[in-house]
Amino acid sequence: MTRLVTRGLTKRFGGLAALDGVDLTLREGEILGVIGPNGAGKTTLFSLIAGSQRPTSGEILLDGRRVTGLPSHRCVRAGIVRTHQIVRPFGNLTVFENVLVAAIHSHRPGSGHARDRAVEVLEFAGLANRMSQYPATLTLAGRKRLELARALSTGPRVLLLDEVVAGVNPTEAMAFAALIRRVRDERGVSVVMTEHVMPAVMSLSDRVVVLDHGKPIAEGTPAEVVANPKVIAAYLGTAAEQAAS
Amino acid sequence: MTARPPSLFSRRAAIGFVVVCAALGVLPVVLELSPYAHNQLTFLFITIAGALAWNWMGGFVGQISFGHAAMFGVGAFVAGRLMLSLHLPAPVCWIGGAVVAGVFALGAHPLLKLRGPYFSIATIGVGEAARVVFTYWERFTGGSSGLSLPIDGDLKYQLYWWALVLAAAVAAASVAIRRSSLGLKLLAIKADADAAADVGISATFYQDLIFVLSGAVVGLSGGLYASYLSFIEPADMFGFDRSISFVLTAVIGGVGTALGPVLGAVVFVVVKIYLLASHPDLHLGLYGLLLIGVILFEPLGLTGLLRRLFRGFRRAPGTAGQVKS
Repeated sequence: MTRLVTRGLTKRFGGLAALDGVDLTLREGEILGVIGPNGAGKTTLFSLIAGSQRPTSGEILLDGRRVTGLPSHRCVRAGIVRTHQIVRPFGNLTVFENVLVAAIHSHRPGSGHARDRAVEVLEFAGLANRMSQYPATLTLAGRKRLELARALSTGPRVLLLDEVVAGVNPTEAMAFAALIRRVRDERGVSVVMTEHVMPAVMSLSDRVVVLDHGKPIAEGTPAEVVANPKVIAAYLGTAAEQAAS
Repeated sequence: MTARPPSLFSRRAAIGFVVVCAALGVLPVVLELSPYAHNQLTFLFITIAGALAWNWMGGFVGQISFGHAAMFGVGAFVAGRLMLSLHLPAPVCWIGGAVVAGVFALGAHPLLKLRGPYFSIATIGVGEAARVVFTYWERFTGGSSGLSLPIDGDLKYQLYWWALVLAAAVAAASVAIRRSSLGLKLLAIKADADAAADVGISATFYQDLIFVLSGAVVGLSGGLYASYLSFIEPADMFGFDRSISFVLTAVIGGVGTALGPVLGAVVFVVVKIYLLASHPDLHLGLYGLLLIGVILFEPLGLTGLLRRLFRGFRRAPGTAGQVKS
């Protein structure tokens, strides 16, 4: 079943099209990787879907319902939540309070007490023994886990992960990959992730979409995508493509 | 670790609070206070209520307003007008003033898209615009000759308890907001409004809500103050130094803490009493020095100082990050 669909999603900044007619489909329980060189429009895509920015044209459907142009707090209510590449914890709240405040707000009937859910999510994210600490005392990997936990505590159906693995050490990156898989398997959340760390995105994604200059240039399984000449050209330039062949 | 929901008020704090309020309530009768002391305490309670309400916006949400005199003045003049024109009982007039002040604050909605210094500068504009408009709106405010209110001696005497009830209610509300999930949301907005929106908390809605509540309570304190003075004029009620005094009391006492502004208001009023008569120019200088001292050495003001002295105090949620912000 399709969870999230974008049709002809376009965002222009003056004459520049940061995103140009992107059609995307995310199935229920799927992990979709979105890759592309710097400036390809990955973060813009997330900002549009999560409601941080309004699209110039095109539409976004969540479970068949139009969510195009909703402000971000309404998108969260609808079930779409994002994390940021540069983590943005609430520095004046403890780790527990950071997650609690997100859990309180998105209270849904039958989802239990906000405090219990916050604790459950923190245990899930491996932060159970850090609850009374302040975000500033966590490592970068810890803060990224917090960012993920905070997003999960809103009870999303679609989770948009922007470069969640980037910048952490290889051991942590492995742990993160496992965590993201568990988000899908155990919590039934559909995931869209952008990533520069190729091993992570390639091993996790069921499908990969490649963006270049705001347009999708390839789509398929990770193996199909990395073999695609257009993708190699976009990433490494045509000379490298020749060298590779 | 288990997450046990903390109760809004600890039993000991609640008892302490009730005892202090009761003591202040019987004080004028037991000690047979002079009319002067009686009046100064009334003024103190009104100042406390205003400082605490300003702190909801300036401290809890972190949006520093230099325009709260506008709501104070609106509350004062609407209450005054209701008394003069409709002869309504004083409490009804005060509440009427508070309602209009709250609606007036809602008019500040466009400003709330601004954050930090931009918001502060815009509020100066609103405050000054209000002062000019109400000064020239002579039919309503009496212009620069002001309004004389029909306050009899009994009401003036009773004002002590009205002001005490107001200050106590606002103090209890401050603690309740601070400890509740609303307070947590406000702290999240204070830390990062966009990140708050990304987890579903509408910064716009909560800023509007708090600005209206804060404006209404400041308007209420304005109404009481109008009755306290029994003569009001726009230049004084809407004056910029009045806006500054809200900032001063909260910052000196401890901006963002639940009850710090109470301490700030006490210092403010005591300094005013002792210095205003003898050295009219000095008291402003002293506020300036206090402000510099707070900013340089103790961002949480007197509350921070007290916390350092009594290490045993429990940390209120969310105050740690304020040192940085």
